[in-house]
Amino acid sequence: MGGTSSSEIIVQSTAAEYAPLILLLPMLAFPVILFLGKVFNGNPFWKNNLKEGGLIALTVMGASLILALAVARDFIGGFSSMEELSEWVWFTSATWESTTMMTKEISFGFGVHIDHITVMLLFIAAFLCFLINTFAIGYMNTDPINDNRNHRFYAEFVLFCSGMLGMVLADSFLWLFIFWELMGLCSYLLIGFYYERPSAAYAAKKAFLTTRVGDVFLMVGLAMLWGMFGSLDYDVIFNALEDENFMAGISSSTLQWTLGLMFIGAVGKSAQFPLHVWLPDAMEGPTPVSALIHAATMVNAGLYLVARMFPFFGAEALHGDLVDLAFIIAAIGGITAVMAAAIAFVQNDLKKVLAYSTMSQLAYIFTGLGCALWLANSLDWHHDSKAHGIVIVAFGAALFHLFNHAMAKGMLFMASGAVIHEVHHAHHHLHHHDDHQHESKHPKELVMLNDYLEQTGQTVYEFFKSIDLDGSGEIDMYEFQTALKNAEIADLPPWETEPLLAAIDLDGNEKINVPELEITLGNLKMDDHDHHEEEFDAQSMENMGGLASKMPITATAMLVGSLSIMGFPLIGGFWSKEGIIANAWRVALEDPRFFFPAACVLLGAGMTGFYMSRMWLKTFAGSPKTEVAAHVAPTNTWIKTPLFLLTFVSLAGIIFAGMGFTHWAPDEGYAPFFDGKKGLMEGILYEMEHAFANHDSFFFILSYVALILGAIIGPGLALSLYGGSLDEGEQAKPWFGPILALNAAIKGRYHWDNSALAQSSLATALSNRLYFDHYYDMAMLKIVAAFSFKAAEADSGVIDGAIKSIERGSQNLSTRVRALTTGSARDYILMAAVGTLALFGLIWGVA
Amino acid sequence: MIDPAWVSGLSALLFVIGLAGAFTRKNAIIVLMCIELMLNAANMQFAAAAVHHGDSTGWVYTLFAIAIAASEVAIGLAIFLAMYGQHESITLDDVNVLKN
Amino acid sequence: MSDWISIPLVGLPLISSMVLLAFTANASESARAKMGDSIRWVTLAFSLAMLAVTTAMFFGSLESNMLDWSTMTFGSFNFEYRYTWIESLGIHWSVGLDALSFPMVWLTTFLLPITIIATWNEKNPTTYFPLLLMMGGALIGVFVALDLFMFYVFWELTLIPMFFLILKWGGVDRKYAAQKFFIYTFTASVVMLLGLVTLYFLQPDSALLYSGTWTGRTFDIPTLISHAHLANTEGWFLGESMQKVLFVMLMLGFLVKLPSVPFHTWLPDAHVQAPTGGSMLLAGVMLKMGAYGMFRLPLAMFPHALEYFQLALMLFGMVSLVWGAIVCLGQTNLKKMVAYSSVSHMGVICIGIATMQPLGWAAALFMMFAHGIISPMLFAVCGAFKHHYHSMEIGAMRGMAKHSPWLATSMMFAWMASLGLPLLAGFVAELMMFLALWHFIAAEGWSVLWMVGPALVLALTAAYYLWSMQRTIFEGGDETQPPASLHGEAVPDISDSEKFAMIVMAVFTILFGVMPWIALDMMHGWTVTFFETILAPSIGGA
Repeated sequence: MGGTSSSEIIVQSTAAEYAPLILLLPMLAFPVILFLGKVFNGNPFWKNNLKEGGLIALTVMGASLILALAVARDFIGGFSSMEELSEWVWFTSATWESTTMMTKEISFGFGVHIDHITVMLLFIAAFLCFLINTFAIGYMNTDPINDNRNHRFYAEFVLFCSGMLGMVLADSFLWLFIFWELMGLCSYLLIGFYYERPSAAYAAKKAFLTTRVGDVFLMVGLAMLWGMFGSLDYDVIFNALEDENFMAGISSSTLQWTLGLMFIGAVGKSAQFPLHVWLPDAMEGPTPVSALIHAATMVNAGLYLVARMFPFFGAEALHGDLVDLAFIIAAIGGITAVMAAAIAFVQNDLKKVLAYSTMSQLAYIFTGLGCALWLANSLDWHHDSKAHGIVIVAFGAALFHLFNHAMAKGMLFMASGAVIHEVHHAHHHLHHHDDHQHESKHPKELVMLNDYLEQTGQTVYEFFKSIDLDGSGEIDMYEFQTALKNAEIADLPPWETEPLLAAIDLDGNEKINVPELEITLGNLKMDDHDHHEEEFDAQSMENMGGLASKMPITATAMLVGSLSIMGFPLIGGFWSKEGIIANAWRVALEDPRFFFPAACVLLGAGMTGFYMSRMWLKTFAGSPKTEVAAHVAPTNTWIKTPLFLLTFVSLAGIIFAGMGFTHWAPDEGYAPFFDGKKGLMEGILYEMEHAFANHDSFFFILSYVALILGAIIGPGLALSLYGGSLDEGEQAKPWFGPILALNAAIKGRYHWDNSALAQSSLATALSNRLYFDHYYDMAMLKIVAAFSFKAAEADSGVIDGAIKSIERGSQNLSTRVRALTTGSARDYILMAAVGTLALFGLIWGVA
Repeated sequence: MIDPAWVSGLSALLFVIGLAGAFTRKNAIIVLMCIELMLNAANMQFAAAAVHHGDSTGWVYTLFAIAIAASEVAIGLAIFLAMYGQHESITLDDVNVLKN
Repeated sequence: MSDWISIPLVGLPLISSMVLLAFTANASESARAKMGDSIRWVTLAFSLAMLAVTTAMFFGSLESNMLDWSTMTFGSFNFEYRYTWIESLGIHWSVGLDALSFPMVWLTTFLLPITIIATWNEKNPTTYFPLLLMMGGALIGVFVALDLFMFYVFWELTLIPMFFLILKWGGVDRKYAAQKFFIYTFTASVVMLLGLVTLYFLQPDSALLYSGTWTGRTFDIPTLISHAHLANTEGWFLGESMQKVLFVMLMLGFLVKLPSVPFHTWLPDAHVQAPTGGSMLLAGVMLKMGAYGMFRLPLAMFPHALEYFQLALMLFGMVSLVWGAIVCLGQTNLKKMVAYSSVSHMGVICIGIATMQPLGWAAALFMMFAHGIISPMLFAVCGAFKHHYHSMEIGAMRGMAKHSPWLATSMMFAWMASLGLPLLAGFVAELMMFLALWHFIAAEGWSVLWMVGPALVLALTAAYYLWSMQRTIFEGGDETQPPASLHGEAVPDISDSEKFAMIVMAVFTILFGVMPWIALDMMHGWTVTFFETILAPSIGGA
């Protein structure tokens, strides 16, 4: 930070000395869980008491959380940047400097860097890793599909946590990148946890490759950054930024390119337009993975990287040089915010709605960061205390939204997981029942007969001909008995063959003819087919509804989370979202280009209100849409506990805001709650005043416009379209009362027909995700893959062809030369004679 | 004294006849005879040159050549016998084991 | 001071393998079948003994007065030893280890037992394992040779066991592949030999004082380098045009061995047909002979020519990197894909050299080492597919992770290591290469697009690896698709010996990825002194 680097206060902190353990513990737990899981797989103690490694993971994550909290406490207590000075040197090499004619030693090491951004992210990551681990024990270990492979889940889970914590703690862009990639690997592994599903295998690959494209640019950016500053350590670079002599030699346009390339990496990792396509597909992973990686932590890595770039924008030497990049960051955010929200309108998959919501909210944070960076770069904030406050608040709002979003979205995903889990169980329960019916309906011999025909590839008619021994055109009991025996299906006595025959014999003459057999087997096939087709989608909101009475805790958590994301007054996300919108407009007043992102985030507020409400209403309000939804039971304790905790975190938004989280950017000029100069109530009043009674009339109007859009118009539209009151006799918690009553009232009265809109080409495009995935896939297949196949042909045809033609040429030549040796003595004599003559001629000619 | 040019001419003629015969005839014995003919053409040339220069070296060479020719015939005939044993023929076209 | 190289590392494997071959040559079928197991254990014991020697060398426990590897400079050697071989021509048996050759020697001795274990059940063990041992001895001979003649002898000697390994244990087209491999690389080596002989005869007058020979010339590499160094500080050693010609001749031999596009087409043929053990040694060590040769001879002797041909070398590297990766994506055979990925990775070495930076050279050296651990693992995985499923067609099987979790895990690990995942060995080399490349590009004032191109290859590499994994080990649970070549038999997992080999290779990949300094420190010292003593006085800057 601008302020801290000049005043270099190193606080002695034991917690900081132990900070590397925060990431090392989970990293070491990875092989341990994997190994123990491999060895004790299926062991009852391992399975029931250790939850297939879940409890080991939980212990480790708990230890990490405690250490992280200790670091945060020391940091807040000392309130300054801390740096673990004893670095671990990773490798050393040298460059050749042609100017000095000397080699210059360079080295890359690992150390821990702790400042306000670190602490914020560290707390988010450690806290959510711990909670989601708790949730995972309740979610993964109760699903029979995961039996005996949960150790793989927990091993990859802790490895991921280690990557996330490591990225946050690392003291250089290089190690940020290394842990960033480690997270990418874990994301790949965990999305592909159900690797046997083609969709999961595809989604995993897509996620890895899409983010990899961004990472490539990040890597180029890092190389360029290293080229400019000679190091990738934060403190080296950030100190250099303050050094005017050094900065005189830096080309600001090259630096802008460098940061721009690094930003592409952030775009890929945080699933922003145009590299956003992987995130919705990533929902193929188990829900705890979606909650942790694809909502709460890993996708924040891109934001973290952009936040880390703040010192570049804040440097005096680069004043006004990086505004274009700040605009691009904000604009990418603006585009994604609106686009993702629009796509979320038409999604019916619960997790996909949340995925697009994640994308949209991350875009908000990008816009907020872009604005903060613009302000830092163009205002004279080092000397003007008012400008200083503006910059800090803008930056703090974006970071606070990151915090709120991570908490709320982690909770939303866990709640959605709870819903899916229970719907799935309910379905399993009912379905089990179905299976029995299914079996009693068709005798197993007939099913086997059908399989037999399919295997041998015979038509019914051919089969019939072959078993009609007397050629009568009808099959009697004896013939049928023989046929079953010959086909090795069953050797049945007559009294057991009789019911089989009766099942086929439609007209009751105790003989079978061709049409009867065809019809019976056809029915069998159709039922079989239905059975496969009817695969129940436990994630589709079309199969839910009215769950508010059945899963009260989950419904409450989902409600609070949704309200936080929507920016409902006083709840978590409200404080930060208002801040982001206000800052976007503040910048837009200065730089007209920013009207675009500013308009986008304002519009997005209303859209968020709509799709989040739609999601909640479709899931929890109204009457159950399927039989399954009517039989859903409450969830288990492992799942409830984190939901319960996070509900309070989101509800406590006002307290966090009062504690100065909206200003979470320390420097010497700002005195927040923690140093005791300002009380909690004072802080809360200050925030309330800013939010609801701004002195500036422009921002006063703006905050109410945003509030009306996000908390009234958007949800109002959703209330009028979806949901409805619960079924008769269903009891819901009292706090749902007003919502459900409002819903029932509006839905009946203001119902408007949106079917025309739903069938428009826009809606089709939205449900096809605006065709991005389609065109990307096409580009991969038709251009990259097609070109590579051509290249492979060219390699064996042209390059190896050239080598082969040399081979062939020399072979042809030798064949020709060989033809001279006829084997006939007279030819040799002739050759000798001619040769001798030629020799004479030669000698004569020379002489 | 005959002009050595005539003798040289005659020996050249004999040599060419022998050469042509060696090329064209199929029977191995006749080819051998033709080779003898060429050797004798050379001998004649040696003899004529010896007379012409009054140097006996030419005679010595002639004697050597005759001796070699005799041994050659002996070996040649032996080869032909062996060839006949192998191929049942002494026609040269039938014996092309060195082909290609 | 005793000679720890000639007998323990070179003589032992060569002589013992020949003895074993001679011993089993006349044995009857049944006798051979009985001997198979003991031959396996004997070769394994010999190779482990060699590994013990090189590992002891690393920890410095063999010699009291040996130099510390990490502080070794260019031109200093440990375990140096000289015997007169053909005095009249100035040929010696001269061996020694420096920071360039020691990692390669250790790598060879490391891979030899791994290869033996990984292919424990190869057929005809009585000839196969001695040939592997012979291969190892010949490869070590190349790396330890400090005499041009000896270097060339071992260089060609490596071809012979490999030729027979491909010819006897190879696939369907093994005859063609073996001959192509032999003739292609041999032709290139002949060009190199011409260069070496020319160098021998043209060496400067000062060398003529070298006593005890009829020709008055020497094949001693350090002596030649010091003569070249003296001459290069004042101008072009051997004259400008001759230095360029010799540089091209030597580099041709090395580029074919590396191999670099467009001289790479022998590699996929040889790899696809070669048995697993052959592929492991071929990719792991034999390809690195090319890069090793470059560092040992032309770069040290012809710095002016190197500067002159710098851009051409860069071009070779870039083309290999990009073309190799593109062709990989279009492959349908697993082993061929892996073979082309080697071409792509060798492009990294070429680029690293062409940057003319200590950083780039250290990157090249580390890439040689890291790829030497990772690529045998790739080929071991391919070999396991071939061995157990009788098929290496990508897409011929699906969902193998369900049936063969060990194989799937090994594949995943090897593939991830090869695509440059951080904290695995390959990443360090790629990272250093990129930094060096940017240093070069920035100094030349080129566009950043020259960086983006090679960098996108990383994405392409990920694409072909991930795509192939998706289509072999993933996708399909209950209706998995075992390859048709199994004819409905139960799908097996890899054997215990293969598991062991995979685990060892994986552990070392992680070790050198997390702690690269173990190997990089000595490479760093060597490259820096190389620059300061050889290049700086000669060309005055890169």
